Amino acid sequence: MSIVTFNNVCRAYEAGIDVLHDVTFGIERGEVVGLLGKNGAGKTTLIRIAMGMLAAGKGSVEVFGLDPRVSPVAVKSRIGYVSEDQILPPFLSIAEVLDIHRGLFPTWDEEMAMGLLKRFSLGPHAKLGKLSKGQARQVALLCAVAHRPELLLLDEPAGGLDPAARREFLETSIHLLNEEGATILFSSHYMTDVERMAERVVMVHEGSLLIDRPLDDLRENHCVARIPSGNGATTETLRAIEGCLGVRTRSDGLHAVFALAPASAGALVAERLGVQGADCRTVGLEEMFIELAGGQS
Amino acid sequence: MLIVVDPHSGVPVYRQLMDQVKFHVASGLLKPGDELPSTRSLSAELGVNPMTISKAYSFLEREGLVERRPGRPLVVGGVSDDDARTRRVEQLEESLAPTITVARQLGFSDDEVVDTLRRMLDGTKAGEGSDDHTDSADKESHE
Repeated sequence: MSIVTFNNVCRAYEAGIDVLHDVTFGIERGEVVGLLGKNGAGKTTLIRIAMGMLAAGKGSVEVFGLDPRVSPVAVKSRIGYVSEDQILPPFLSIAEVLDIHRGLFPTWDEEMAMGLLKRFSLGPHAKLGKLSKGQARQVALLCAVAHRPELLLLDEPAGGLDPAARREFLETSIHLLNEEGATILFSSHYMTDVERMAERVVMVHEGSLLIDRPLDDLRENHCVARIPSGNGATTETLRAIEGCLGVRTRSDGLHAVFALAPASAGALVAERLGVQGADCRTVGLEEMFIELAGGQS
Repeated sequence: MLIVVDPHSGVPVYRQLMDQVKFHVASGLLKPGDELPSTRSLSAELGVNPMTISKAYSFLEREGLVERRPGRPLVVGGVSDDDARTRRVEQLEESLAPTITVARQLGFSDDEVVDTLRRMLDGTKAGEGSDDHTDSADKESHE
């Protein structure tokens, strides 16, 4: 059963300028999906639409089969949410903020909350305003998960954290996956975190869905073909080849991303364009991201 | 058992795991009956999604390299001497393949490649250059 479905979601902040354009994808129970895209690509907007904080302009969103704008309480009580710009009331202590959450969520799991507090070495009496950024994010994560939500929406959860705090956040997430199992949609600019956590990658680019593939498939059946300049291939002829997702002009020639294994991409470039010796390789997520979303030179 | 993954490489993590377990089995570091770490502990240790470990283990199981017993850790399966040899040959071929590609790109003939390889093999045997070092490192990795 799908936990979240986005159906042809459009959203514009100004008339005529779509922040999201016709985005369709779903998340199944137990899936961990990494949401990628440049700043301003529409990641946060998507997550906020799933939370019911924003409405879709056109199209529809269902979370647990419900419209989050129609049934906000029913939906939100089953979601855990952490975002980079989340602000916890600085004058409250950790114990007080936990009290509030315990009161809000009937499913609150005190044992889990205490276990995480211990894991994070946080004392209950510390004031939220006195915590480091990493500690504050840990408290936010604790509050997001201790009511045992069926869905975690994490909007750039590791943003602004130092490498140690980021790693700790990642390890806690993996700990939770191991102990609880969870359905997670998380956006991140840290490609290594996505590579460690996500089974599936969704990439939005300029408001449109560019990629929606299992991570392993991106690495095995997608490649970057580097075609030296001066042999007749052009951006247009490359783009016309099926499976071509994008082309960039670089100083050493053209770089084309193909939804094909390297050997097939190389063979297709040779067959269609008569270009021999295209250097086709599978690449890590960061390089793939830059090839797809990076600028032309 | 030493397993290292590079989540950033173009090779999927589950495949990196499979390759390393296969290598350890072929080299004898892992012997039939040896237990593999649980999905949970390996996932925590490597900092990767437990599903990735499960995927690698399922494929290894399907290939007959490991055996699953209900409620017990996964163990390395028994192999005949012939199979063990075949696996070692496969491992060797796999690691030599890129060398052959490079040699061809550099324009060496097959004979020259074979000669070079033989010269290097002799070199490590005869106590010239780095052999002591290689030998002891070799032994350590088998213990």
